[in-house]
Amino acid sequence: MALLRTREIEHLYSTASCAVVLSEVSKQYGQKEAIAPLSLTINPGERVAFLGPSGGGKTTLLRILSGQLESSTGTVLLCDRDLAKMPTGREVSQLVGMIHQQFDLVPNLSALQNVLAGQLGEWSLLKSLVSLVWPLNRCIGLSALARVGVEGIAYQRAGSLSGGEQQRVAIARLLVQNPQVILADEPVSSLDPARAGEVLQLLVSIADEAGKTLVASMHSVELAREHFSRLIGLRNGAVIFDLPSHEVTEDMLHDLYDLKGLRAEA
Amino acid sequence: MTSMTSRDSAQKPRLLESRRVLTLILLAAFAWSLLNLDWTEGFIHSGGISAMGEFASALFSLDLSADTLSAAVSASWTTVAYAVAGLTLALFIGIPLGAIGSGVLTKSPWVRATGAGGSRFSLAFFRSIHELVWAWLFVAAIGLSPMAAVLALAIPYGGILGRIYAELLQDVPEAPLQSLRSTGASEWRVFWYGRLPMALPDMLSYTFYRLECGIRSAAIMSFVGLGGLGHEVRIALDDLAYQQVWTYLLFLIGLVVIVDIWSTMVRRRLSE
Ligand SMILES: Nc1ncnc2c1ncn2[C@@H]1O[C@H](COP(=O)(O)OP(=O)(O)OP(=O)(O)O)[C@@H](O)[C@H]1O
Ligand SMILES: [Mg+2]
Repeated sequence: MALLRTREIEHLYSTASCAVVLSEVSKQYGQKEAIAPLSLTINPGERVAFLGPSGGGKTTLLRILSGQLESSTGTVLLCDRDLAKMPTGREVSQLVGMIHQQFDLVPNLSALQNVLAGQLGEWSLLKSLVSLVWPLNRCIGLSALARVGVEGIAYQRAGSLSGGEQQRVAIARLLVQNPQVILADEPVSSLDPARAGEVLQLLVSIADEAGKTLVASMHSVELAREHFSRLIGLRNGAVIFDLPSHEVTEDMLHDLYDLKGLRAEA
Repeated sequence: MTSMTSRDSAQKPRLLESRRVLTLILLAAFAWSLLNLDWTEGFIHSGGISAMGEFASALFSLDLSADTLSAAVSASWTTVAYAVAGLTLALFIGIPLGAIGSGVLTKSPWVRATGAGGSRFSLAFFRSIHELVWAWLFVAAIGLSPMAAVLALAIPYGGILGRIYAELLQDVPEAPLQSLRSTGASEWRVFWYGRLPMALPDMLSYTFYRLECGIRSAAIMSFVGLGGLGHEVRIALDDLAYQQVWTYLLFLIGLVVIVDIWSTMVRRRLSE
């Protein structure tokens, strides 16, 4: 089994590392500045978590990094390539993939089909259509599901899975998509604490095995400290602190989430 | 994508206002139409009451003779066949035009505008003419053949199905589609892997509802002379054979109820 698995999902573990470089990136929604111009470098293989109050700009920043949202100013370099200049969604999908808080899977398709959808960028339309009826490359999908610990539910409707199972399936899809940089927007916020820890552990170990860069936004400070090596505090679209996890103090966190200050600034 | 969401939020208040204005206009039109109805004439002519009484009492003395029953069975069969064939053909109109009309197959604004505009216009044209009118047209063009009935049903039903399909395809949750796009999938693939699977249960259940309507329409359409339950009802009415009329009507009700039960079962299975 172990041998079979290694061979089948070899491509899932292609070791590669890829830096994310933001320079003077900002985002304006009408009058509102969701992200103030900010520059930062995330090194290859690093595990970074964004923290901060609601509305701080975490989701906005991650969506910019994923190419789903265009920044108002500035440039994003992924693996030394300018994100804005990449011609097709397919190329972007080879560099970066994203997991969301929830409601991310197509509920009426099976877990396996959702996982195999990770390859849609690679497949021809004909192959995609055939696979919709008769899943192709099943082995890759099944081994990805096995890797995230839910091979038993491969043929169940995604909509009927528990929140934790759905999140594991989303991670499996990311394995199949195999991007260089993994983004996760509050990946465990809808899970109970025990499940949250497990799923986060899984995400981190998958990123580590393949040397992938992992960038997440987190609500829970404890989980962020435990699983990420670098924490970045975002408040009103600006970086409040950017430090190794163990150097972040209670005072800094207090300032980051402080309600009074938030109102005054806003 | 995001420019769209921000535009949405900016437009919402204006949209609400115009909706309120529209509601007022519609209410005014409704009130005006009530005032313009002639209430003095009465709806039922003088001999009407006794005819109604006869008709009602005939329900309790149904004509269950072998002749009538076999005529009812074969007419029911014709009606169902028209409805099913018409609806099947309607699917061939509704699915492609609905998918194009939803404007979700391409990101290119030009292609989208012309494709969606064109197919929405043809859908609107198809359904704005009633199936009875289509039936007259086709009977005039190709005579009293089953083909006329099927086409007459398929065209307006295709228009209705296409319109509803377009809306259902647009209204699926956006998050799963976004995550499909982020795997590099084109809009076509997003359609097959996201939109269609998510919209399918509602599309199917609406189609079943339409099948039910189709059976009623098919029965009515045969008044034009195309055979089926409506045809039998009309002949029986001409003969003032109300007992037979009721037998045929009960067959029609039975058909609709059967389709209703069937569609409930299918819907339940779809939403497990
Ligand atoms: N489509 C949009 N149109 C207008 N404003 C937006 C839009 N999306 C986000 N914003 C604004 O940008 C700011 C940052 O939002 P964002 O969703 O990035 O915050 P967040 O840190 O992810 O918050 P949360 O922790 O609640 O998820 C907020 O003030 C929000 O209102
Ligand atoms: Mg957010």
